[in-house]
Amino acid sequence: MTTALVAAVTVVAALLTLAGLASTAARRRIGLVHLALAGVLEALLVAQAVLALVRLAGDRELPETATFLGYLAGALLLPVAGVLFARGETTRWAGTVLAVPAAAVSVMVWRLLQLWEAGRG
Amino acid sequence: MAEPAGGGPRPAEGLGRVLVAVYAVFALAAGARAAVQLSTRFSEAPVAYLLSALAAVVYVVATVGLARGGRAGRRTALVACAVELTGVLVVGVLSLADRAAFPDETVWSGFGQGYGYVPLVLPVLGLLYLRAQGRPPRATA
Repeated sequence: MTTALVAAVTVVAALLTLAGLASTAARRRIGLVHLALAGVLEALLVAQAVLALVRLAGDRELPETATFLGYLAGALLLPVAGVLFARGETTRWAGTVLAVPAAAVSVMVWRLLQLWEAGRG
Repeated sequence: MAEPAGGGPRPAEGLGRVLVAVYAVFALAAGARAAVQLSTRFSEAPVAYLLSALAAVVYVVATVGLARGGRAGRRTALVACAVELTGVLVVGVLSLADRAAFPDETVWSGFGQGYGYVPLVLPVLGLLYLRAQGRPPRATA
């Protein structure tokens, strides 16, 4: 868990949110750009989760481990669920359907960082 | 928008699916929060944490109702949205008036300010959407 990684996640998640809203505004369905951004976002989240779990298995101690793990798992789930749900949508609203979980991820990672920095070790 | 012939459930699509997505995110957020609160420190604030759990259940029910659509789905979602709106208003007032009863945040504390007031707006959008969906299809002569 580093600020740089969280910032990177936020940027990609924000781009995905904008791409989703843009496709709705343009009355188009989601395309390769959305899938690629969602893929990059998920890869960053997996990297973040692996780093955090390795440190937690080591000497890192958090005051609220359960809450942290909840946010970590939730953030991992959202882009995947968003893509699956948006791909089933045949109207221009598919992009907005994907933008919702992307925006949620961009908020959740900062809460994750907050929980992480409250820890020691 | 017309129901398919036979009046079976028509799953949410278009703007309805966006609403379902937002509800699903809140079902996840409230559910995870309630699970953590109930399992790790239930005795600290039982009322607040039980309300957290109730909020989570309401979001799940609303998500499923909206996603399934049809008469039954809409009616389920209508009840869930009504409970949700009542909950966010009552808990919002109580959490401001009696801080001691709500030492920890719930999704509905302070009218959902911890979640950008989305919990306050969401049930209203849900009810508006359900009203639009419930209108009989335009008569085409």
